[in-house]
Amino acid sequence: MSRSATLRRTLKNPLKGLRNGRGSAGEETLRVEAEETVRVSFTVNGRPAEVDVAPRVTLSDALRDHLSLTGTHIGCEHGVCGMCTVIVDGDAARACLLLACQLEGAEIMTVEGLGTPDDLHPLQDSFSRHHALQCGFCTPGMLMSAYELLDHEPGVPKEELPEKMSGVLCRCTGYRHIMDAVSDVAEQHPEGAPAPRNCGTAQLLPRTTAGGPGSTAEEDLQHRAPAEITLPSSEPTVTVGVEEHIRATPEEIWEVLQDTDRVARCLPGAELIEDFGEDRYLGRIRVALGPVKLSFIGDIHVTERSEENRSIRALAQAEDAAGGSVQAGVALSAQPHEGGSLLSADADLFMVGKIAQMGRSLAGDVSADMFAQFTRALDATARGEEPTDTQAPSSVAMFTRLMSTRAKALVGRLRRR
Amino acid sequence: MKPAPFSYVRPTRLDDVVGELEEAESAGSGKVIAGGQSLLPVLAMRLGRPRTLVDITRVPELAGLREEGGSIRIGAAVRQRQVEREAAQRIPLVGHALPWIGHREIRSRGTVCGSLAHADPSAELPAVALCLGAVLTVTGSRGSREVPAADFFTGAMSTVLGGTELVTAVRFPAPRAGEGFGFGEMARRHGDFALAGAAARVRLDGGGVVEAQLVGFGVADRARSQDFTGPLAEAVSRHGQDEKALTAVMTEAVSEMAEDVVTAGDAHASQDYRRRLIRVLGTRALVRACADSRRRAKR
Repeated sequence: MSRSATLRRTLKNPLKGLRNGRGSAGEETLRVEAEETVRVSFTVNGRPAEVDVAPRVTLSDALRDHLSLTGTHIGCEHGVCGMCTVIVDGDAARACLLLACQLEGAEIMTVEGLGTPDDLHPLQDSFSRHHALQCGFCTPGMLMSAYELLDHEPGVPKEELPEKMSGVLCRCTGYRHIMDAVSDVAEQHPEGAPAPRNCGTAQLLPRTTAGGPGSTAEEDLQHRAPAEITLPSSEPTVTVGVEEHIRATPEEIWEVLQDTDRVARCLPGAELIEDFGEDRYLGRIRVALGPVKLSFIGDIHVTERSEENRSIRALAQAEDAAGGSVQAGVALSAQPHEGGSLLSADADLFMVGKIAQMGRSLAGDVSADMFAQFTRALDATARGEEPTDTQAPSSVAMFTRLMSTRAKALVGRLRRR
Repeated sequence: MKPAPFSYVRPTRLDDVVGELEEAESAGSGKVIAGGQSLLPVLAMRLGRPRTLVDITRVPELAGLREEGGSIRIGAAVRQRQVEREAAQRIPLVGHALPWIGHREIRSRGTVCGSLAHADPSAELPAVALCLGAVLTVTGSRGSREVPAADFFTGAMSTVLGGTELVTAVRFPAPRAGEGFGFGEMARRHGDFALAGAAARVRLDGGGVVEAQLVGFGVADRARSQDFTGPLAEAVSRHGQDEKALTAVMTEAVSEMAEDVVTAGDAHASQDYRRRLIRVLGTRALVRACADSRRRAKR
């Protein structure tokens, strides 16, 4: 377990403040032992963020593993390739060559701040139009380097781009299309780089446990305090909204919702391991998709129960040793509808790691399917029947069902590759 | 490529920095970190495993960039890009050299004093410091001392700095009347370490050369400085501003310096190629410095 860092006061000359410094007070020496972590507060894409990191953790790792901002890619990790280029206090810098602990008070911008899939930054749009990426690995670095270049040197001539953009390596495109894309934006925006599209709502970025200190061994998890869960303020990886008309009445549903253990049993592959009290739990969910077998274990916190609306809200945060981590915010409610209920389940899912690489649509389909099974099982349980298809983890049957509904789209997608 | 664990100390007073370095040294090994742009790769590749890093970037007295008695004084926490923006005109040779250092993504964080203290034989700033006769302020528990660049570098990545000392500032002299500068280097790609490079400073007085200093770097364990006042004065008195003729004459003079280049050569460049680079880049730098001096005089 990590201990928190100690601030050792040096009493000499206490009034001598920092002129250029920020963050920690002028008279104090910050001291962090190698095995300790220190809390660092900075701004990421206009939002305050905090990370608890050991001294040797680089900014690139802090962004990816502690803040789930995996848009910043890591290539060489020693300052050669430029994949991890981000903007720190207005200047482009390599995130792998910065220690997170040095960045107290810094303003950081990553590719996530530049734009969103639905609202691309003009540079991102230009990269797309000019085919300035192939594998896409260097693209975040290229974008951030280009953004900063145009920010500082509006109207930079095209001839200078090969040198000015030389801080980021690309192994696919031969650079021509990248230069074209940047040059296009430079010409269309002689006033400089257009403002970023996804910076600035004042919401705290969460600290995740992923990649941080700690263990996911079940026994350790059972005997620790429940984790505080906050969801990232970034776009969810997947949003699921399921509405189903079921026979059970809202009152019957509400009765089941009171018993978290019964609710868990309705979710395919899920089980409660520990009840920490105060509506906080340790749980596990197994997901099997053909050869992919994941077992997520982590915390659940029921944050809201409203008898009036027959609704509950919960936060969950779980990790699989290989697959990565998921955070979720879930809302369930049952409203009277034609003698039965209209059961709605809404979830925002934030995925990090290999599962996120399954792709949004597949991950979305899997999640939606699980919720659909859940509502059916909940209906059955509420009416006093034993749920039938939920004991086995969402398995081959689900995979087959999924594939049959998705077959056409999948084939189409594979063909396009 | 993750650094081995180390502890981190961030003092806010210079006295405390020295104290922390002493404490770190007695506990194993300490290292100063400012921008970390040379240090982090060393740590990431685990070529170095200091037990403690002492961060000097929050020490106010190390943040200054100002004129001081005919020099530009650059504090240890001042980043290269800040100098590029604010002082490149006032110390032109530094201004010529800075864009060659890595990429701007590196210069955003890397410091001038850090580059000097790191003393990479291919680095630009040690060569420039040598060429301009910069003076470094070295601070340790016994106080501060002033060390001329010529005495500071002792070999590849080696300097006179003791284990508990740090460079707190460097002073680059501002150009004197009649001075001109030339700089050039060759690297495999922009931003790579130089295969070879040259920095030159000449001083003209009434059209005659009264001072000519050439520094070659990237070809030996440290930058090498040589006085070319004699040969350049003679060449200029004979050929005036005829750059072609000057180049021909000076190439021969610089060849001797190039012959002294002690380098084994490697996969990137053979010994002969590096010698040739010194000859060509050195001559160009000297000839350009002459032209630069005349240009400045006209302003």
